[in-house]
Amino acid sequence: MVVSPVLQVCDLQVSFMMQKRAYPVLRELSYNLLPGRILAVVGESGSGKTVHALSLLGLLPPAAHVSRGKILYRDTDLLTMPRARLRDVRGSKISMIFQDPSASLNPVLTVGEQLIETLRAHKPMSKQQAREEAVRLLEKVGIADAPARLSAYPFEFSGGMCQRVMIAMALALSPDILIADEPTTALDVTIQAQILHLIRELQQKEKMAVIFITHNLALASEIADEVLVLYGGLCMEQAPAKDLFEDPHHPYTKGLLASLVSMDRRVERLPAIAGQPPMAGEITKGCPFASRCPQAQEKCRQQLPPLTQQGIRMVRCFEEKTL
Amino acid sequence: MVRYIIRRLLLLPLVILGVTFLLFFLTQRLSPEMRASLYVKDPRQMGALEEVIRQYGLRDNVFKQYGRWLGQVVRGDLGYSPSANMPVAKAIKEYLPATVQLALVTMILVVLFGVWFGVFSAVHKDKWPDTIARFVSVGGFSLPIFVLGLLLLMLFYGKLGWFAPGGYSFQTDLIVHGPSFKMYTGFLLIDALLNGNMRVFMDVLSHLVLPAVTLCIGSFALMVRVMRSSMLEELGKDYVRTARAKGLAEWQVVYKHAGKNAIIPVITLASIQFIRLLGGTVIVETIFDYPGIGRFGVMAAQQLDIAGILGFSLMVAVLFVVGNLVSDILYTAVDPRIRLD
Ligand SMILES: Nc1ncnc2c1ncn2[C@@H]1O[C@H](COP(=O)(O)OP(=O)(O)OP(=O)(O)O)[C@@H](O)[C@H]1O
Ligand SMILES: [Mg+2]
Repeated sequence: MVVSPVLQVCDLQVSFMMQKRAYPVLRELSYNLLPGRILAVVGESGSGKTVHALSLLGLLPPAAHVSRGKILYRDTDLLTMPRARLRDVRGSKISMIFQDPSASLNPVLTVGEQLIETLRAHKPMSKQQAREEAVRLLEKVGIADAPARLSAYPFEFSGGMCQRVMIAMALALSPDILIADEPTTALDVTIQAQILHLIRELQQKEKMAVIFITHNLALASEIADEVLVLYGGLCMEQAPAKDLFEDPHHPYTKGLLASLVSMDRRVERLPAIAGQPPMAGEITKGCPFASRCPQAQEKCRQQLPPLTQQGIRMVRCFEEKTL
Repeated sequence: MVRYIIRRLLLLPLVILGVTFLLFFLTQRLSPEMRASLYVKDPRQMGALEEVIRQYGLRDNVFKQYGRWLGQVVRGDLGYSPSANMPVAKAIKEYLPATVQLALVTMILVVLFGVWFGVFSAVHKDKWPDTIARFVSVGGFSLPIFVLGLLLLMLFYGKLGWFAPGGYSFQTDLIVHGPSFKMYTGFLLIDALLNGNMRVFMDVLSHLVLPAVTLCIGSFALMVRVMRSSMLEELGKDYVRTARAKGLAEWQVVYKHAGKNAIIPVITLASIQFIRLLGGTVIVETIFDYPGIGRFGVMAAQQLDIAGILGFSLMVAVLFVVGNLVSDILYTAVDPRIRLD
């Protein structure tokens, strides 16, 4: 049986305008997202993870724009869709949760109001119906005393609770896709585990696809089916989570994994990857990782290696892994 | 909340004592003869001066005189104002409503248009509507009130004859002080409506237009600026992105989400300006010969009418404290994070 993807990203390029010049911060990004699957997008700070997520829903800041590519949601291109249609998709077919849950909720509106308006934006229902539905949603994400909590304000909630509310809001209309942009980064460790558990549990119950954005490779391979590694706005390696974790091909992925190991062993001040990731708008002719790559050759600095199929994975490196 | 209000109201006497004592002390720089002279109308009776000084104890020490004044105030007697030719309390009752009316109409204009302009300008940042709004706000800011007031008066009264100075026309004066017109509140606009007299209402309103517009300009410019920058700041925040990601319509994102947050600083600004207007419409009231409390204050000051000056400052002090309190309470209504206690 062939399952058709819910989301197809084809050759996506996003650029920022700076001093009247366009600087691409995301290039040649292509992937398919299958229904009910979790795709993790992993990368260091500044690698373009958030920019990628925002471009999917047309939420890029004014200075940024998609300069090439297609984003197909069930065969319709989100990029060329009329704005009114795109609004129908946002929050109901594709929804999103963010890194800083406390700042992502409106401080002067009650939690209930924010849930209710989401429901009513997409489905005709009375205030009373929406209220009942909102209570049900809060209970679903594990908020105790839900009816009373509807009239609370976000500042009365902890960060973890706010993220639960965000999840309730995102799942309010049973979307096909949930985009989670570092949903646990701002939370402390025990809460992180709870939120992850909640996302996975609801993902399985609702059979939705998830794009899970994180800078933590270990977390990614734990939660995801498929992992995509971003570096300097380019996909470096994409593979099923297990394969990527057990047998990374790209030198950058290897480096990331090694740094995890060294963290486990509590070897401090020993960066597994020397050097700095590229700066914003810094476009090199060759591979963006070449300056930090232990295996880099002259060729790597001269031209950008293409993303090539190596078995069940895609790798962007001239160095073919030989077994 | 109730405790907060009570605590703030307890502060009121302190503020009043401070302000009035300071003024009282300053008026003592004038010789007793100067202070008494206003009560002696006829220059041929200059001999009565000493009589007045003795009668009111104007040579006593400051504290004794101040104590005497305070004692009267507590009993509700603010003294007699020679410049207005009536008791100070009566003068305030007579002139304050006109000023409140003027200030209210001005503030309604300022808030409505200022907020709307500010939002509009922020939403269209760096496009032509923003440029126009910024131009208007800079222009309004740099145009002195008396210049604008005189220009408007020249154009609309002198040339076009649309609006006249004063508080109301002669006919209205006759009606208002006639037997069939009942004064319910002292606010002519409201009383005209209560009496069902639309002619008086329109007449009073048309006399309000020029001074209100003149008063507007400066406050309006400031309001647009504050609203614009506040709105721009809010539009860049994370919760606005969430609101868009939820699929809300753009007007909901702008007005309900960003707008409700952006209006918070505007509330303080509006209440400060309102209070300032109540005590400070002096220039405009003078230009337009508007029968308000500001004109009373100026007259009292010019004629060294000490009872009038003290009564006027007492009123301004009370308005300040009460106005600030109201603004604090308004704050809590909009921003749930603020609890008064
Ligand atoms: N408003 C902006 N103006 C200019 N450049 C920007 C802007 N926002 C992001 N960028 C650039 O786009 C690139 C990608 O940024 P992005 O926020 O997507 O990174 P990220 O992977 O999400 O990082 P993080 O882990 O810190 O969230 C970065 O190089 C960044 O400097
Ligand atoms: Mg990010």
